[in-house]
Amino acid sequence: MLAAGLLSYAGFSALCLAMERHHQEMLGRRPSPSRKVQLRVAGWALLALSLWVSVLSAGWAMGLVRWTAMLMGSAVFLVWLLPYRPRWALVLAAAGLLLGLLAAAARW
Amino acid sequence: MAWLHTWAGLVFGWLLFAIFLTGTLSYFKDEISHWAQPEVPVRAVDARASLAQAQAYLQANAGQSPRWFISLPDAREPALSVMWQDPNKSGRGAFTRHTLDPQTGQRVEARDSRGGDFFYRFHYQLQMGYPWGRWLSSLAAMVMLVTLVTGIITHKKIFKEFFTFRPGKGARSWLDGHNAIGVLVLPFHLMITYSSLVIFMTMLMPASIVSRYDGDTQAFFNEIYPGNQRLAAAGQPAPLVDLSVLYDRALQQWPGGRIGRVAVQLPGDANAQVQFSRHEGDTVSRDAGAAITFAGATGAVLELPRDSATPMVVAGTFYGLHMGLFAGPVLRWLYFFCGLGSTLLIGTGLVMWLGKRQLKHARSGVRPFELRLVEVLNVASMAGLVLAVAGFLWANRLLPATYPERAGIEVDSFFIVWLLSIVHAAVRSGSKAWIEQLGLAAIALAGLPLLSLLTTDHGLPTSIAAGDWVLAGVDLSALGCGLVLAWVVMKIRRRTALAALPIARGARTRASMPSEVH
Amino acid sequence: MRSRIGGVSTSYRWAVASRVIAAVFGGYVLAALASVCIAWLLPMARGEAVVSAMMLSFLVYLVAVLWCFASHSASRAWIGLAKPGLVLAALAALLHWQHLP
Repeated sequence: MLAAGLLSYAGFSALCLAMERHHQEMLGRRPSPSRKVQLRVAGWALLALSLWVSVLSAGWAMGLVRWTAMLMGSAVFLVWLLPYRPRWALVLAAAGLLLGLLAAAARW
Repeated sequence: MAWLHTWAGLVFGWLLFAIFLTGTLSYFKDEISHWAQPEVPVRAVDARASLAQAQAYLQANAGQSPRWFISLPDAREPALSVMWQDPNKSGRGAFTRHTLDPQTGQRVEARDSRGGDFFYRFHYQLQMGYPWGRWLSSLAAMVMLVTLVTGIITHKKIFKEFFTFRPGKGARSWLDGHNAIGVLVLPFHLMITYSSLVIFMTMLMPASIVSRYDGDTQAFFNEIYPGNQRLAAAGQPAPLVDLSVLYDRALQQWPGGRIGRVAVQLPGDANAQVQFSRHEGDTVSRDAGAAITFAGATGAVLELPRDSATPMVVAGTFYGLHMGLFAGPVLRWLYFFCGLGSTLLIGTGLVMWLGKRQLKHARSGVRPFELRLVEVLNVASMAGLVLAVAGFLWANRLLPATYPERAGIEVDSFFIVWLLSIVHAAVRSGSKAWIEQLGLAAIALAGLPLLSLLTTDHGLPTSIAAGDWVLAGVDLSALGCGLVLAWVVMKIRRRTALAALPIARGARTRASMPSEVH
Repeated sequence: MRSRIGGVSTSYRWAVASRVIAAVFGGYVLAALASVCIAWLLPMARGEAVVSAMMLSFLVYLVAVLWCFASHSASRAWIGLAKPGLVLAALAALLHWQHLP
């Protein structure tokens, strides 16, 4: 579940960055059109990866339940953190991505 | 659509807040029950041995009963529970229920309390007679579904503002928060609301059953639930086989699984039947077919577990997702926070409804009666409810363990505190009522561990030393909630102190009004 | 002379009440009729069909409620429920009595 949560957090962060207003908040500049596309693709891919990791470790029934829970939890966490500490949100996204991939490999 | 969202949300919001708050608490109902009856010993779970104890107890105390039910202990509910039907009565009031020590088989002398079960039953029965409470809560659920969908429809910027939350901007922040909780936790809100209708669907929408079964609704239920039929006694006495032996055979059906419940019909008769049901927390979907039936006198298998058809699996999945019995500790806390989210969704809506209209009248200084009524109901249904929960928990600790009718008095305390909160809200001004009620709730909840320490032998030091993290957890969670409420109270006090300053009040009012509100 | 209660005309209040009644009661009847038709028309065992029909009926109820408040007038709300309602009632009656021995 941890891996799925970290990956979905990273995924949502990417999708969030793909929006001009939030990109400005977190990185201080507007994203180029190609950058927006890259971030969106990465974001959706990470969300799909988190689903795959979840189902792989717990089967379809529990996997889907856990994934949905992680999706909601990570989204809420990001949206809550963003206005207060946009830089932390970004750092956590990067860390989450790395740790998430590691955790997925370690089957957590 | 926006009109429907705001008005349906208002009229049913107060009831829905109560349903969702008590429902959210119900995810920890077993833990709260354990906290409420600290005398129940916590033993290592041995379901098989407990079953033998239960059979002996029932044989000795309910030998003539036509139906026995045994709920085996599990990690969340350490007590062994037995229930039997009085042979001379029928219907709902005919059952007697005893809690046993799973190790000794003796009846547990714990303080009488409904514990977490009170919140659980309240959230769908609303303390009303059968079946009126369920109908009202189901009506509320339908209205919740309508408000959720109308909320989605009217939230034009649902994708653009997906990640938007702007704190510190008054009404704008409230709306952002309401939208954020609504959208980000939407899967849960929709699931919990729709599943609640599915759970009661045979009561709410029986037309198709009546039509296809030609009025014989019992035939429908017999198809869905194995072992539901009432058996006729043979009149021949035949001793019931050792249930532990059947237990082993039943468990073979579900390797790695658990047995949840054992139901015996006509124990001691030649036609006796014993049904072992799989523990409901083993699978996400609640499966009525996951049961094996044996003949009670011979031990022969009468009915094997059967695979349920897809529609039943779907319905069972809705039921299972709603109950969350399959959830481990992490998922259970997530369920709790999601439930809290739904509750806050409703709460923020109610606060905004009032706030928007109060602004309109702020300049004239005259407040119509309807708004004052909404304000009183807002305070009482939200702060008052939290205070009532605290009152229930305090009553549990303050009433002596052997006090007669104490379970009923605990429940009465809940409602008396709630009633007093309405009166208090009616005589105090809005902000004062909020601060005072939430403040008192904060003190009461934060003080719960101390109260437990003073009134029971199971205060925090004892429970932590014994490794009873469930009991300690409830005390600590109450403390945590109390601290959060205290923080909320401080924020409200700061905001009202600012608002009370005479400087540029008009400018501030204008600044805090969002330019676009739906 | 138009009368007003609380700043809003009485005819408006009647219209709202009418939509509410249509939504709550008319919507329920429509959902129930739909559930009967669905239960007969689904190609599965009757227990399964009935379970499916009940689950789907709540969606019908939801749509009916939304219709009652989205329609241009209270009377349109009622008409909008009555039209499919009559069709479903006829169909349900046909299906039900067709299967009697």
